[in-house]
Amino acid sequence: MESILQLFEVPFHFLRVPIVRLKTPTFPSFSPMLVFCFVFLTYFLVLSGIIYDVIIEPPSIGSSRDEATGSVKPIVFMKYRLNGQFIIEGLSAGMLFSIGGLGVIILHRSSQKLQSEKVRYLLILAGVLCVMVSYNLCILFLRNKIPGYQKSF
Amino acid sequence: GINAEYGGFVSIVMNKQTLDKIPFRLRTTKQEILLRIGVLTLIYIIAFSTRLFSVIRFESVIHEFDPYFNFRSTKYLVNEGFYNFINWFDSAAWYPLGRIVGGTVYPGLMFTAAAVYWIAHFFHVTLQIRNVCVLLAPFFASNTAIVTYFFAKEVSDSNGSGLVAAAMIAIVPGYISRSVAGSYDNEGIAIFALILTFYLWVKSVKTGSLFYSTLCALAYFYMVSAWGGYVFIINLIPMHVIALLLTGRYSNRLYIAYCTLYVLGTILAMQISFVGFQAVQSAEHMLALGTFGLLQLFVGVNWIKKHIGADLFRTFFRIAATIAIALFALALAIGQATGYISPWTGRFWTLLDPTYAKDHIPIIASVSEHQPTTWSSFFFDLHLLVFLLPAGLYFCFKKLTDANIFAILYGITSVYFAGVMVRLMLVLAPISCVLSSIAVSHTLDTYLKFFKGNKGKKEEFPAQKEVGLVMVAGLSVLLILYVFHCTWVTSEAYSSPSIVLAAKQPDGSRLIFDDFREAYWWLRQNTEPDARVMSWWDYGYQISAMANRTVLVDNNTWNNSHIALVGKAFASNEDAAYEIMRQLDVDYVLVIFGGLTGYASDDINKFLWMVRIGGSTDPNIQESDYFTPSGEFRVDSSGSTVLLNCLMYKLCYYRFGQVYTEKGRGSGYDRVRNVEIGNKDFDLDYLDESYTTQHWLVRIYKVRPPNNRG
Repeated sequence: MESILQLFEVPFHFLRVPIVRLKTPTFPSFSPMLVFCFVFLTYFLVLSGIIYDVIIEPPSIGSSRDEATGSVKPIVFMKYRLNGQFIIEGLSAGMLFSIGGLGVIILHRSSQKLQSEKVRYLLILAGVLCVMVSYNLCILFLRNKIPGYQKSF
Repeated sequence: GINAEYGGFVSIVMNKQTLDKIPFRLRTTKQEILLRIGVLTLIYIIAFSTRLFSVIRFESVIHEFDPYFNFRSTKYLVNEGFYNFINWFDSAAWYPLGRIVGGTVYPGLMFTAAAVYWIAHFFHVTLQIRNVCVLLAPFFASNTAIVTYFFAKEVSDSNGSGLVAAAMIAIVPGYISRSVAGSYDNEGIAIFALILTFYLWVKSVKTGSLFYSTLCALAYFYMVSAWGGYVFIINLIPMHVIALLLTGRYSNRLYIAYCTLYVLGTILAMQISFVGFQAVQSAEHMLALGTFGLLQLFVGVNWIKKHIGADLFRTFFRIAATIAIALFALALAIGQATGYISPWTGRFWTLLDPTYAKDHIPIIASVSEHQPTTWSSFFFDLHLLVFLLPAGLYFCFKKLTDANIFAILYGITSVYFAGVMVRLMLVLAPISCVLSSIAVSHTLDTYLKFFKGNKGKKEEFPAQKEVGLVMVAGLSVLLILYVFHCTWVTSEAYSSPSIVLAAKQPDGSRLIFDDFREAYWWLRQNTEPDARVMSWWDYGYQISAMANRTVLVDNNTWNNSHIALVGKAFASNEDAAYEIMRQLDVDYVLVIFGGLTGYASDDINKFLWMVRIGGSTDPNIQESDYFTPSGEFRVDSSGSTVLLNCLMYKLCYYRFGQVYTEKGRGSGYDRVRNVEIGNKDFDLDYLDESYTTQHWLVRIYKVRPPNNRG
């Protein structure tokens, strides 16, 4: 037993061990809100249909020729189809979804304890505006895309 | 005497004399419970009735394609019995190969419907099996709403949140699309099993009770028997365990819950013959196994740490961790190299690498449900929930608990998977309801408190009451708009039986196209019982169920080369196709043609997929041969000659060249492709036209026997 331990000591008679300050890697700890920001960003990307964009590779914006003048007009929405989109159309819709979500979060923050009343009313106004504008714009987008939306009952 | 707890009005009815002794108002807690039960009853009724549009408009009929196979299997189970069903070898499908149904099907759906049928018959309520199958999905949707109430209550610790979640999931279009009456498919019961398993898992993590963990394993067993999507559960729960370990939330409850679930659940999962040993071999289940091992290691290491000092432990831990990781990596490598651990199958690999199916497996890529999702599909299927989901996530992140972390993980993973495949919007719908309900419940709580005001105390800020009123009113308006949207979507988009088509005529009356059932019944009544029918795989299940004839390929799509052979037959000219049809003993050929009616999902529009799939095994079939020189797919006179002489073209357009379809157009005007067809006058050399339905939607041809010699 002793001789085996002495065998292990042999290399160190002619090798000098360098002084190395190494630390075992620790798992970095994130605050929950930081993780939430990252999750929110991926939510925005996925709901914009980015996976559809990567696989199907649609144009970023559609185009049609104007009959009279021959100039090329851009078309933002791919009409009559729920399962098709252009890239910019998807990203703007995703932005609206995110703003709507932020609006609800802002409304919650406005109900907590705050420094001044002015901030509170500003937050309420901002939250209500975010939610109302984003919801109504989304409905407008959808009506533009599917002309028959909520018409035939 | 009266039980004073039982409630006022019952006692009043029973004994007038004691009227004075009863408190006139029920106690608050009893009021709450009554209100909750009332709301849940209403939600139950609504969830069932909103799915009945197609039953009311048409009749109680099974929809789509896959449900017809499930219906035929259920009839077989009810007529032949349990053991004959498990050992069923179906020789009437995939001629000449046959299909081992017992081992290639998830039997949960058939057993559930048969159980409902047998229980009803036991009480002498003689329901028809068809009605049981048609109405099973709405029945289970109502049950899902109730289970979602419990799940949301566990996750958020608030009753109001549970009620909102139940109300939302009762009508959310993403779930309705796969659970209308008539849609007799696995997802109808699978979502119920999914939420039940998740509810029991959260409950067992919170209580650490062996009872709930065992119930969770049983619910997991039901889920495995119901749907292939059980892989989601067996990967999400280990992810939750790992997340709890990483955030320092280990507890004995977690250990008990996961070990019980994994051991019992895996053993139970292996009882389903379709899963079998995949539960311990396939790569999709490896995360669960790894987490099981990791949990044992974690507990063992903690136990050692308690017994030796901190310094000694640090050195020991470093050595042990290195050895353990090395061993694990070695085991994984050996398992992968020897093939014992089978790699991720194509369908699930597509979820991780969405470009895989497009390049390698055209059959998976061709199914429209497997396409990635656009923003409009998200908004159409979830409406208000897309706004409330991130807010719900925010509330969960603010106050992290074990149950919250599970909801967050479920939400994030299902958003990603729903983005990859439209069909998986179904899995996103429940958690979006739960997370949105958390947001709604929090908001309503805060602002209703503002509105009601603190009793007697001054307002915290001016106009508090008004702000509260406006907020609550605004949220109510949004929720009402959600209901309008969901009902409109259910009525217009998701209630079509697709076996029966309806069109509105200019004078407002409805024109019904019942061609499919007309053709299948013609086949049933006018052909030999052992006749073999060749058609594209979409219609296989329907032909088997309604016409009761042998088919070559059906929707199971388990044999790619057999389908490629059928695709090659349709894509070749008549001589080559006749060779293939004689090899396969085909008696009848069935095609779907929409050119007369304008029905766009016909075989000519699917033809390019036949070419692609046929070309995946036979390199002689080139997709470019079927396009014009400029790369367009045209059926008029400028179309490619290969296309204009292939079997599919001839069978669809036989005698169509003499038909006038629209005013002002020539004869043979195809109303789907909007052109006059190119090859009008031709005769069929090897087939005879047997039957064409009223609107030319389904065309059946008989294959002529070979000529006699001499």
